[in-house]
Amino acid sequence: MPKWGMVIDLETCTGCQACTTACAMENNRLPGETWQDVLFYSEGEYPNLNLSWLPRPCMQCENPSCVSVCPTKATYKDEGTGIVLVDWNKCIGCKYCMVACPYGVRFYMDEAPVVQPDVRATYPGEGRRSWNPPFKMPDEYEDPSKGIGIQPKGVVSKCTFCYHKVSRAPEGVADLDEDNPETKEFTPACVRVCAPKARYFGDLDNPNSKVNELIAEKGGVRLKEETGNKPQVYYLSGGGAPVVPGNRSRRT
Amino acid sequence: MAMMTETAAGGTRPSHFLMHLAVALVLLVLGGGYVLSEILQFGKLQFNTTNYGIHWGFAIVVYDYFLLTSTGLAMVASLWHVFGLKEFEPVARRCLWLAFAGLVGGVVVLFLELGAPLTALWATPLNLQTASPLFWKVLLVGAYTVLLGIVLLGMVNKPAAGRNPLMYLVGALAFVITLVAGSVYGMMAMRPMWFGGEVPVVFLIESFMGALAFTVFFTHLKNGFNHAHMRPETRALFEGTLARMFAIAIALHFVLHAGRAVTGLWSNAEGLQVWGYLVSQPLFHMALWGCVALPFVLMVLPATRSNGLVQVVAALLVMVGLLISRYEFIIGGQMVPLFKGTWAPPLLQYTPSTGEWALLVLAVGLANTVYAFAAWKLGAEDRA
Ligand code: SF4
Ligand code: SF4
Repeated sequence: MPKWGMVIDLETCTGCQACTTACAMENNRLPGETWQDVLFYSEGEYPNLNLSWLPRPCMQCENPSCVSVCPTKATYKDEGTGIVLVDWNKCIGCKYCMVACPYGVRFYMDEAPVVQPDVRATYPGEGRRSWNPPFKMPDEYEDPSKGIGIQPKGVVSKCTFCYHKVSRAPEGVADLDEDNPETKEFTPACVRVCAPKARYFGDLDNPNSKVNELIAEKGGVRLKEETGNKPQVYYLSGGGAPVVPGNRSRRT
Repeated sequence: MAMMTETAAGGTRPSHFLMHLAVALVLLVLGGGYVLSEILQFGKLQFNTTNYGIHWGFAIVVYDYFLLTSTGLAMVASLWHVFGLKEFEPVARRCLWLAFAGLVGGVVVLFLELGAPLTALWATPLNLQTASPLFWKVLLVGAYTVLLGIVLLGMVNKPAAGRNPLMYLVGALAFVITLVAGSVYGMMAMRPMWFGGEVPVVFLIESFMGALAFTVFFTHLKNGFNHAHMRPETRALFEGTLARMFAIAIALHFVLHAGRAVTGLWSNAEGLQVWGYLVSQPLFHMALWGCVALPFVLMVLPATRSNGLVQVVAALLVMVGLLISRYEFIIGGQMVPLFKGTWAPPLLQYTPSTGEWALLVLAVGLANTVYAFAAWKLGAEDRA
């Protein structure tokens, strides 16, 4: 069984946010509350200042703190894919997972939106659907037990690594690559649209996968190793540690 | 059952329980009415919690405040029921009813805050996520509620009965719930403001201190804020052990609170800069000096310690101070944004919305309604 992981090459990424937009479209996200985001960091002062950026999906941690704090097992690690999912039928909206995720990648759907105006008022939802986005994914992909579809009110959601695509990939395949016609349809939306090809997606348990090759050869690193969460998302940053300055430690 | 209250002088005076009940009901209707109308109309869109980082807002502050007051009160009642400290017998019954009232107020607020409260009823006990402190908290609070209810039922049916062996379980559950409630925050290594093995102990001391404050306040309330109305044994307790215990609990709370602030200010670790912000705010000093240091002084000086009105003032200050420090702790732990980039504000700002304030009014109103009704009809204040 694969353990899907992602490699993001920070030297190639242009910070264009195509991944963010694709994710929003693919997964019916509210504006400003995209599961995939690009974070920007500015350090120093003009004329010697530095702008850096960091694409940030859910890290799909190997030891996810969100899973261990969830009192109902609504957040769980899918054994077949190594992807962390949320069962909306069991989520009670306690938000403990949001508090416990070191990477701030979870979203609750019963609050004032991060970006105003609230588009939910313009596109009101029916039934459990909290809204009715004009760009929503095909109904057959929806699966509340995996947190896929239009997020209901009162529950938490997060990036699924596009489980609805990835889980349909041919068995035994090492990498899901948008340039390979055989795997293109199963590749996560953010990887597929990345124009400079800064994202790679593959099986971390397969020693021959491209992701493992990149991690080994280019020194892939994970963020916030001190938390022990062991992300399944690795960053390439030319050998050094990826630049993720805390508010307190950044150069001013 | 207790329409007329016996006084130390052996006479009777008109009960004020009905008045208490009426005031409580007004608060309940005002707070509950506002919150419900807002939630039914807008969901929780009007609350000031956001996906940007403040996930647990004032509702959780209120819930924890009431829950931990309840467990603290059960621990105070255990001093008589479990440890046989006869001195505490006069307040044990009141403490247990107050514990129940506080529990009801807190849990109702939690249910209004949860996204799917009905799902919580089955999904939490049935899925056995033993790694989650919240799972244990829910399980333990469930057992605590049932057992506390049985103990109170026993008191209603046999008002003259003495120590109740079931209180061993209730006391133990209250103790463990308080520790687990502390662990909910203390285990969060990704939030340095909360993280630490001492947090459950801090919760234990705060819960006990808060319970003593509520015991003091409600005992004086029952006696019309007149020391002379107290029974001799209650008065002896209030001028002796309880007042001293209260002073010690406040002192411990002061040391732990100030100690955490000082180490937080000293540390350079990312996430602890929030202490610098908190300490720069008047609210912090109001809580630390006005609501902890001042009541400590009042309770430590023999001249003021045994004065009834001073005790009431000290109790009120502690009750308010505890709410402020619970607020600063829970909100402060979320103020440093996690992974939002440097374009996010260095510290997230949060103030409770009107609806969130209304939750506090609702909890106060509901807890007092339960308590005043119990005092009026169920003998909560008999022999107290
Ligand atoms: S990044 Fe956060 S939400 Fe994603 S698996 Fe890790 S702890 Fe869970
Ligand atoms: S909000 Fe939902 S997914 Fe998150 S911890 Fe609570 S029950 Fe679990």
